[in-house]
Amino acid sequence: MNKEMKNLAEWSIKTAKAAGAEECRVNIDSERFVQISYHQKKPESIREASKKELSLQIFANKRYAGQRTSDLRKDALKTFITNAVVTTKLLAEDPFRTLPDPKYYKGRANINLEIFDKEYEKLTPEGRHEIVKTIENSVLQRGGKKIITVTATEYDNRYESVVMTSNGFFGYNEATIYFAGARVTAQGVGDRRPNGYNFVASVSQEGLPLPENIGQVAAERTLDLIGGKKIKTETLPIIIENRNVRRVLGGLIAGMSGQRIQQRQSFLIGKKNTKIASDKLTIIDDPLIQGGLGSRLYDRDGFAAKKRSIIDKGVLKDFYVDWYYSRKLGWEPTTGNPSNLVIPPGKRSVKEIMKDLGRGILVTGFIGGNSNSTTGDASIGIIGKLFEKGIPVQTVVEMNIADNHLKFWQRLSEVANDPWIYSSWRTPSLVFTDVVVSGV
Amino acid sequence: MKPISRRSFLKTSAMASLAAAMSPLLPDTLYSLSRANNPYYFEKEFGITDDICQKVLAKALSKGGDFADLYFENTIYNWLMLEDGKVNQAYSQVALGVGIRTVKGDQMGYGFTQELTEESMLAAAATAATIADGISKKPAKQFIPLKLKNYYPLKKLLTSVPLNTKLPIVQKVNDKCFDLSPLIIKANVTFHDEQKRMMVVTSDGIKAEDLLPRNYLVALVVAEKNGKRERGFWALGGRHPFSYYTNEVVDEITKTAVDRAITLFDAKPAPAGEMPVVLAPGPTAVLLHEAIGHGMEADFNRKKMSTYCTMIGKKVAEPFVTILDDATMPNMLGSINVDDEGTPGQKTVLVEKGILTSYMHDKISATYYKVKPTGNGRRQSYEHYIQPRMRNTYMLPGPATPEEVIKSAKNGIYVEAVSNGEVKIGEGDFAFYVSQGRLIENGKLTAPIKDMNIMGNGPKMLKNVIMVANDLGMSRSGTGACGKGGQRVPTGFGMPTTLVKSMTVGGVKRRM
Repeated sequence: MNKEMKNLAEWSIKTAKAAGAEECRVNIDSERFVQISYHQKKPESIREASKKELSLQIFANKRYAGQRTSDLRKDALKTFITNAVVTTKLLAEDPFRTLPDPKYYKGRANINLEIFDKEYEKLTPEGRHEIVKTIENSVLQRGGKKIITVTATEYDNRYESVVMTSNGFFGYNEATIYFAGARVTAQGVGDRRPNGYNFVASVSQEGLPLPENIGQVAAERTLDLIGGKKIKTETLPIIIENRNVRRVLGGLIAGMSGQRIQQRQSFLIGKKNTKIASDKLTIIDDPLIQGGLGSRLYDRDGFAAKKRSIIDKGVLKDFYVDWYYSRKLGWEPTTGNPSNLVIPPGKRSVKEIMKDLGRGILVTGFIGGNSNSTTGDASIGIIGKLFEKGIPVQTVVEMNIADNHLKFWQRLSEVANDPWIYSSWRTPSLVFTDVVVSGV
Repeated sequence: MKPISRRSFLKTSAMASLAAAMSPLLPDTLYSLSRANNPYYFEKEFGITDDICQKVLAKALSKGGDFADLYFENTIYNWLMLEDGKVNQAYSQVALGVGIRTVKGDQMGYGFTQELTEESMLAAAATAATIADGISKKPAKQFIPLKLKNYYPLKKLLTSVPLNTKLPIVQKVNDKCFDLSPLIIKANVTFHDEQKRMMVVTSDGIKAEDLLPRNYLVALVVAEKNGKRERGFWALGGRHPFSYYTNEVVDEITKTAVDRAITLFDAKPAPAGEMPVVLAPGPTAVLLHEAIGHGMEADFNRKKMSTYCTMIGKKVAEPFVTILDDATMPNMLGSINVDDEGTPGQKTVLVEKGILTSYMHDKISATYYKVKPTGNGRRQSYEHYIQPRMRNTYMLPGPATPEEVIKSAKNGIYVEAVSNGEVKIGEGDFAFYVSQGRLIENGKLTAPIKDMNIMGNGPKMLKNVIMVANDLGMSRSGTGACGKGGQRVPTGFGMPTTLVKSMTVGGVKRRM
């Protein structure tokens, strides 16, 4: 517990109330990070700094405003808070803006989420350089002469936050995060220079793959892109690789936002407890996974975090509704944003599934694209491997898939056994049938 | 309200963030531009003297290095948001700090601090210095202020605009949207303004200060008809004075947003496959930005990552194609008086009459290529280091009329509105998302289409530009932000009506 941060939060609330706020929430965030990149076997950039910022949400005369500052000197802060209250009172009244009912703060899990790496302080500057050097060397070793250039990177961050409200909420969070990876360019056919990458994240250094493995995978993923071309427009089964599922799933999750529903910008309005996907799709929001990148004991409103079923065998079970939009909608609140999203893994590997499918495309990357949360229409470019009889035969690029989410997720035919654990969205590879892949 | 001095007011970042909101309560003269726009802002408000800069730069070069620079920033961001008929949310943020960089060849050490004290700056400089391991170097003994042209002059600071002057404009946008059509069921309106003060001080004796305004007004509407919903969006903005936001601007935003939403009820399924694509003038220049712009940022070429890295001096397009990156366009979002490492704003010809002529350089790449920096060294904030970035990228107009271009396409699609683009630098493959367009059938614009990704290959697409019209339009939204290496910077773009012989259209309907 950082007492200095807690005392500052307490003082900020007292100051806000003295200035005329009826209610307020204070967040204080403090972090220190280091980022090192290597290129051509020497440091390309070393970046290191500390940050501390205070955010204030003011509720005054049924009005609301939010402010953020990095100037934490007491005299400056006092003026800041006083004036924030004055600003708030100039806005239009909004009776839905209040702090949450404190009953939702209760029931916080009494567990250690293990999102702070106790070994963090042992990471030395030399150790960091060694990690990055190893990643770069393993790319070069695995990729050989085909590699034109590599940039290997390590980033680590130690983060603390205090949240306090005037109606009794207090939360303290201490976490670490590590990123490591490499961006690689290889010599392709003609002028083409395929860029590949491999980046992984974890709350602990131990949770990352070995640097050698990170580099090898980066090299292999880049070499796999050589010779890419587009093929004829065709209806095919596709497998979206585990690490890339988030890009497509994000369009579906966006429709579950309470804000979008209340603002009539969601294609999922009126779809609760209806079937919006095939039986194969189950999504659980689990904030209490130990060591999870999205783990938390409380959400942005201060609600005690709970495991929730979002989609169960294709049936939409819940929306992401925060306190404010729950009041506007007249609904019971859930939580405003996802924590760890888990799609329970299936039984078979991607290789086994490819063998069974015969001909299809394994999607290993996306390009461009977007999703319309109001209508559910989506279109996105794909990069991947055409496989025949289960064996990759051609790298494909400059191709596209387009559909409406309400139809697309009905095509989900299988979930593989390979959840991607280096993200808060723990998604296995997903198999979709009868997808129009447009190309030549 | 207890009166306070201007100096202590502005020194307090917290208060500065509230300047706009508070101004109804404080005399306007407190923020008058004639005083506030004086040079030496950071010296006057934060006590940053040349002596201190020299000490910090000396620390940054204490282990050697080619050069070092300091980037001071004080930015005030404000957002006013309307939802469900009322301006009921306001947000402000202050960014105050200094970034310190030491450069040795193509290597860079970087530290930053949010405390503008000598002690904190020296500590950040010590971090930056770790990139070098040689003998210390001395910075210049004096810093010469750069005389700069001003491409976004202000008569009045944005922070001096009273909140009660902004509120009615936001409200008016909402009310007009509902007046324009009974089909509108929701409107979200945002007014954003920001005012960045920056100062660059370099170890080779340059000192440059700038005051960069940025603002935009956005309407997003949802329309409902026969149980179907569509949304429309339009924004106007850039580096404008507040006086830009007239009734005419409000009319254009509301009419365009509402028209776009309603038109989409008649949209037909977009086609899929390769076909001719005509780009409407203005915002569709995202295509130039993605397909060509990023590939011509010099860091990607210096590192041999870009497909354009061997193409300088070579023919890449037809002779009627000329592409520029330009910091000097008045009030445009990508305009800068000076870049973030002290090179004055300028115009760079990237492709001249079909020949690739220049990359976009920062100081590191300019040294590598033995050319002058082009003023493209930019960063998101003091927390971030310099990268070569675009400013306003556009294609010059050609000889044809827009009607001739559309007629020549015969059958294809016409792209009117885009959102989101991405490029694979090494392959040159790019994609951008078309939120709205029209079918071209027998040389004429017909049914609306929407929500499709369009893809191509940059060098191939450039060669496939077969017709350019005489109607250059620039994107005027003020909302454009380009992402690269975890940093977002405001950029502008523009192009005339342009015919690309063939691109892959990612619709849902098989070939027309």
